[in-house]
Amino acid sequence: MNKKQKLAVIISVSIVLATIAVWLLFGGEIFTKTQVLVEKKDELFGWTEKTWEDKFIWGLDLSLLVSAISLAIGSILFFVFRSKKNFNNQQ
Amino acid sequence: MNRVVKTFVLLFFMSVVVMAQGFKVKATGSQTFNFEDKNGRNQMTFFSATPLEDITGTASGITGSVTFDVANLVKTLKGTITVSVASMKSGIDLRDQHIRGANWLNAEKFPNITFDIKEVLDVKQTADNKLEFKVKGDYTMHGVSKEVVASAEASYLDESEQTKKRAPGDLFGVRAKFYVKLSDYGINNQLIGNKVAENIEVSVNIVGSNKM
Repeated sequence: MNKKQKLAVIISVSIVLATIAVWLLFGGEIFTKTQVLVEKKDELFGWTEKTWEDKFIWGLDLSLLVSAISLAIGSILFFVFRSKKNFNNQQ
Repeated sequence: MNRVVKTFVLLFFMSVVVMAQGFKVKATGSQTFNFEDKNGRNQMTFFSATPLEDITGTASGITGSVTFDVANLVKTLKGTITVSVASMKSGIDLRDQHIRGANWLNAEKFPNITFDIKEVLDVKQTADNKLEFKVKGDYTMHGVSKEVVASAEASYLDESEQTKKRAPGDLFGVRAKFYVKLSDYGINNQLIGNKVAENIEVSVNIVGSNKM
């Protein structure tokens, strides 16, 4: 494994770890959401009512998607860099 | 003498029961309340448990009206509440499309969910302007009607400066909860490949005005 291959692996794995960290920071939700329900008290009747508020929640689905893309690009770069090195060695 | 006391006690309890079937408010006679709310605060909430994540959604497209005699809600309450399927939201656009789609509620073919009130049961007066009761009615969803019994709590508010901020006229607020079984309405409990609970909890928070 040459330096470029190592760099590709480190970047890919770092992105995967970062998506897991972001997912956990957003509360570990399964699905990504763009709106969340917020409870508000109705002063007249004393009951609680639910309203939608715009809020982005990073879900596991998005983490998996970003991780998959990162790993795919990392794998391609790993292969490309290895091929270049082998080709140079053969010459 | 003993019989007189017993009769008196019996009459007292009967009068309490009769009195407990309506509201003790300024308004009298038959009143009609309209639930159309342009601010979208009237809502139906649905809750379903799934193995992955519980789903809570709302529908704010509520219309309809109820009519009742203020002094005798039990025997006179009639009306229909309608909810627009297109107004249902669950926080994920793709899931909302699926809920409204042909495999679920089929909003194109069955645009509304309705509840027709048939009967009021088990009334309990909790304050002069508050009643707790069960309401039996026909719940129609996905083109199928089934009888359901909802637990309800109703409040009658005379018009005041506070109520005017919400809507003109007297206000009639209803909070109700009941359960529907999806298979009873011909709905498959698969949502985007995820199995949802067969029984859905439905809650309603609506406020109507008699001057709309």
